[in-house]
Amino acid sequence: MIRLLRLFCLAVLLVVVSASPTAAHDVRAGADLRIAQTIAGAELTLVIKATTRVPGPLRVEVIGFPSAPALDLRLRSTADGRVTHGTAAPGRPAQFRVEETGPHELTVGAGGETAVIPFRVLVDRGSGWEFLIYGGLFVAGLLLVGGLLTGAFNRRGRPAVVVTAVAAAGISVAALIVVLEPWLPARPPDGAEPRPTGSALGRPYVQRVVTTVPARPAAGEEFTTRVELFDGSTGRPVDDLAVHHEAMAHLVVTSQDGRYFRHVHPLRTAPGRLEVRLRADRPGRYLTYVELERTDSGGQLLTGSFTVAGPERPTASPGPGIQDAAAGTVTVTPAVPRAGRPATVEVAANGTPRPWLGMAGHLIVRAEDGEFLGHVHEMGTPGSRLRFTFGFPVPGRYFAWAQYATDRGITTVPFTVEVPR
Amino acid sequence: MIRTKGMKGLGGLVLAGLLAVVVVAFVVARTSGGDPVTTAGTRYAVTVTADRNTIDVRLDRGEADTVTVAAVMPAMGHAMPEATARKAAPGHFVAEGDLFSMGGGWELSVRLTGPPGEETLTFTTLVAD
Repeated sequence: MIRLLRLFCLAVLLVVVSASPTAAHDVRAGADLRIAQTIAGAELTLVIKATTRVPGPLRVEVIGFPSAPALDLRLRSTADGRVTHGTAAPGRPAQFRVEETGPHELTVGAGGETAVIPFRVLVDRGSGWEFLIYGGLFVAGLLLVGGLLTGAFNRRGRPAVVVTAVAAAGISVAALIVVLEPWLPARPPDGAEPRPTGSALGRPYVQRVVTTVPARPAAGEEFTTRVELFDGSTGRPVDDLAVHHEAMAHLVVTSQDGRYFRHVHPLRTAPGRLEVRLRADRPGRYLTYVELERTDSGGQLLTGSFTVAGPERPTASPGPGIQDAAAGTVTVTPAVPRAGRPATVEVAANGTPRPWLGMAGHLIVRAEDGEFLGHVHEMGTPGSRLRFTFGFPVPGRYFAWAQYATDRGITTVPFTVEVPR
Repeated sequence: MIRTKGMKGLGGLVLAGLLAVVVVAFVVARTSGGDPVTTAGTRYAVTVTADRNTIDVRLDRGEADTVTVAAVMPAMGHAMPEATARKAAPGHFVAEGDLFSMGGGWELSVRLTGPPGEETLTFTTLVAD
């Protein structure tokens, strides 16, 4: 008996351990899908609101940092091909209707740019174990009534014992499932991507090609930065990006000298292709860093570079709110950080920070030679001071940019840190 | 009497255990089967059923002349050669052979050409061992 119980426990444990995580671009009850996009020169977050029933409504909201243009939206079900259109702007959500769970594509257009965001609409079907709970209780209830009748008409004890015992077994089954339910595998929701149970996690690394259109952009002119992603094993386009810190990819572009900095969220224009429009005011070499995550895998950082030609031409729009840090804005403790030891960076925010990319603040640190890029988040300090903990890995000079969002948009605070030998 | 009840209670536990194992087996069997997958592109819509040696492509929309399938297992970094499906009936194509090197989650790219144009539909399917 004990051995059987042990076997059962082992079976439950194996099932629990091998339960696979959920896929990435999912909209389901209690889980909005938030995706940051840099489109038509604006930094915005698209929110595909959680849905509880299908067929049913699906709402798409836009949050601008600080503002966003009206977006032309097109929702297509990749299961049945149904297409619906809508427009959304900050404060004016788009209302769609979904007829089926499963894969969908949201095409977002503004200012001549277009992004296609694949996602899945899921509806939970319940755990599937309820039938055992209700079945057990039903059998017990039925037999208790039967037991009463048996007791009334039959004076001999044996049938009553059997009935009571089977009723007890039914209650035991129900009780066991009630107790074990949190650990029992849940059925995949309707519309989920088919995935094998108990498969190993992790996918091959991504190879990237970073190009610009035109190939040699001129200073002051708008150009497109294109990142093409290829599977490191098969060479196929990588189109299984998970939403990582509320974006399919974070692209950080800095000039070699650290005076230019952009943290943008490129648009998926084709499978495995991400694009964003930029403008650089000075000629020279620019370094690109793409932070992303494949489904079932960890985060990856892909690097690249491009060159901007021509004479220096100051741009009319210097980008999302870059300002020189005023004295006293940034405090590093210890004042002379030691390599490999955590340092605290405090930034006095101008205004009340509101969440951006799921966090109150972001600190991006680049080694002067460009060989290292770190990205750490604010730790949830109340008030308008942002506090980061960061360990500068080796001695040297670092360019750092603290970023936060307020009602006025995204503020970037640049500063440099010297880490002595 | 009490002893009998206790034994029956334990029996109930065992029964619950066995039932749970049966249900788990049922759930696992359900999730690892090769269910048909329906995908709609802009030109074509297909319903595909795949097992180790056969890929069955039925056109729900669009008339295709040729259908080729390419399978990739992203988790393992496996890629199989592109296979051309033969036309079994109008709107029904079948690819046969050693199409998958192992069971599991495979990404299938179905490339269709015909009067509506060329289109590749990509989706994930489960292939049983």
